[in-house]
Amino acid sequence: MRPALCLILLAAGASAEMRPSLQPEDRKNGSRTLLALDPVHRQAIKATARLVDTGGRAAALATWVGEDGYLITKASEAPELEKLQVRLADGSLAALREIRRDTRHDLVLAQAIGVTGVTAIPFTADAKAPAFGQWITAPAADGQLRLGVISASSRQIPGLGAAIGVRMDEKPAPGGKGVRVLAVAEDSPARAAGLRDGDILLSLDDDTLSQFSQVSQLISKRQPGEIVAVKYLRDGRERACKVRLASRSKVLNNWEGEDFANGGISLRTDSFEKILQHDLPLGPADMGGPLLDLSGRPLGINIARVDRITTFALPAAVFWPLVKGWIEADRHPPKALPAR
Amino acid sequence: MRPIFLTALLFPALLAADLPDPPVTLERLQAIQDAVRDLLPAARPAVVAILTGDGTASGVIIDKSGLVLTAAHVAETPGRELRVVLEDGRRVTGTTLGLDKTTDAALLQLNDTKRDWPHAAVSRRVIEAQPGEWCFALGHPGGFDKARGVVLRVGRIIRQTANSLQTDCVLMGGDSGGPLFNLKGEVIGIHSQIWEKRDENMHVSMAPFLRAWDEMKSSLVIRTWGTGSGGYLGLAADVNPDTELLEVLEVLAGSPSEKAGVLPGESILALDGEPLGGLSHLSNAVKLRAAGDQVRLRLKKGGQEREVSVTLGHRPKEEG
Repeated sequence: MRPALCLILLAAGASAEMRPSLQPEDRKNGSRTLLALDPVHRQAIKATARLVDTGGRAAALATWVGEDGYLITKASEAPELEKLQVRLADGSLAALREIRRDTRHDLVLAQAIGVTGVTAIPFTADAKAPAFGQWITAPAADGQLRLGVISASSRQIPGLGAAIGVRMDEKPAPGGKGVRVLAVAEDSPARAAGLRDGDILLSLDDDTLSQFSQVSQLISKRQPGEIVAVKYLRDGRERACKVRLASRSKVLNNWEGEDFANGGISLRTDSFEKILQHDLPLGPADMGGPLLDLSGRPLGINIARVDRITTFALPAAVFWPLVKGWIEADRHPPKALPAR
Repeated sequence: MRPIFLTALLFPALLAADLPDPPVTLERLQAIQDAVRDLLPAARPAVVAILTGDGTASGVIIDKSGLVLTAAHVAETPGRELRVVLEDGRRVTGTTLGLDKTTDAALLQLNDTKRDWPHAAVSRRVIEAQPGEWCFALGHPGGFDKARGVVLRVGRIIRQTANSLQTDCVLMGGDSGGPLFNLKGEVIGIHSQIWEKRDENMHVSMAPFLRAWDEMKSSLVIRTWGTGSGGYLGLAADVNPDTELLEVLEVLAGSPSEKAGVLPGESILALDGEPLGGLSHLSNAVKLRAAGDQVRLRLKKGGQEREVSVTLGHRPKEEG
């Protein structure tokens, strides 16, 4: 009889579980759960354009807003639109014509050249704002939808300006030329551009550097997502690189590279007039696509991946009156005055 | 890589008993949303931010006197006075009571006990927090932000162990100590830790709190529990291959089962009305309850069924 007792104790020690673990496909963003979104899926994917770089890598998503190829995306993820292309549903590529770049809302309007008959999202400026706790969905760059909720209050996100992510020596560099880099933040614009400790920054765009305070002054006038040409000295040799600026708050919050977002954070995460906050697990390259409710009603476009639990979307009420005006102006340019 | 896959394989019979549920429908999602939204107005004011001096965390008020559940790594030690931020931004003070560093459970008392604090109910049926159940997490990730307010995450329970729950409600720094709710609006977990994957969010279940309520309220630091303690029946049982029922093989002298009159040879059909699938099912059900809890066992011998009430004891040391 004694061995049976051992058995029960062993079993107790070996497994603390009742039902087996929930399989990945049955979790909130698992394949079986997402089957419930099938009615919205087709509609969402048709309204989404995929922007790829020259190497064919996903750069951002975009949302079709005009049947004649007009699309909008996150401006700071597409700083050089001429270097990106749209990958259409049949796999073919189309070049982009930039029409309007709006730093205030971090949006850019473009037209896919030669593309017609796309399904434009029927945004309206007076749509009812989604409620706290309401389910929402959005496409990711992998062509699948994600499921989540409106997770916090809709609000303004103040901006703290741009940063490159270097700590500098306050003392002038030897010879009085340039500013020495003491430390480079992990996951920062400077790190991505290849800058290292000990480099001596010589110039930012056309401004020659002689004091460390100049760097933050110059950068603070710029916007996250903009590109700055940097000249620097390493091992006695002058070199150059291009740095894509990020939000100061993003750089400061992730100085040690503590990115628990799995997949990174957008370059620009702040300075928005009004945002919807949701918990869809998206990455920076998934920004620019539409945010929808579960009946397929468009709510806005995804504008910033902020941290492990946060994505911001711009509500249609904020951008649609503007974008609609830009499209109209582009479709109907003012006629030349008749010659007298 | 994770030991959990191995233990799951040890019990193929248990796995086979659980046929997969049909996938979630749009209607079901709608019902979950409606339930969560109905519960939020009452749940939100019970969630607090806790300022730890060098960081920020969360907690949940669970009675009108201002008793707060949080995580042990937030409280750190009994008797600490901490600042607590309410949903509307008001700041009050609280004092840490007891805590259990092994399971990460802790209690804190808001110093003003005369106020009628908004509070959430605690689920006393730990066993109901099963994999697949929908749930929602609230907290102050990244710290208190009045314009943003409490942050919601809706997800499902992935795994239940003796002292913890794993869910796909994604957590981050500042959520520690915040509540996980079931769709009845009861607290079923306290946010404890995350691993790097988005589905690896760990919460302390209510089991360690319920087991040591009195000890924790009297500001004791509890160090003795590891995974696998909990309530104790004091019987040996196994599935009889002929009847396929869980049969009592031996009842230990002086044990809770003996005191309740459980006899060798009887089959255990159900515990608190829940049909038992196998041996591990029984031992888990017992372990998830606190010593001192009463459980009803449905027993069968021959053609006769009867029900007994057993008051669970503490697991004897040499067997734990």
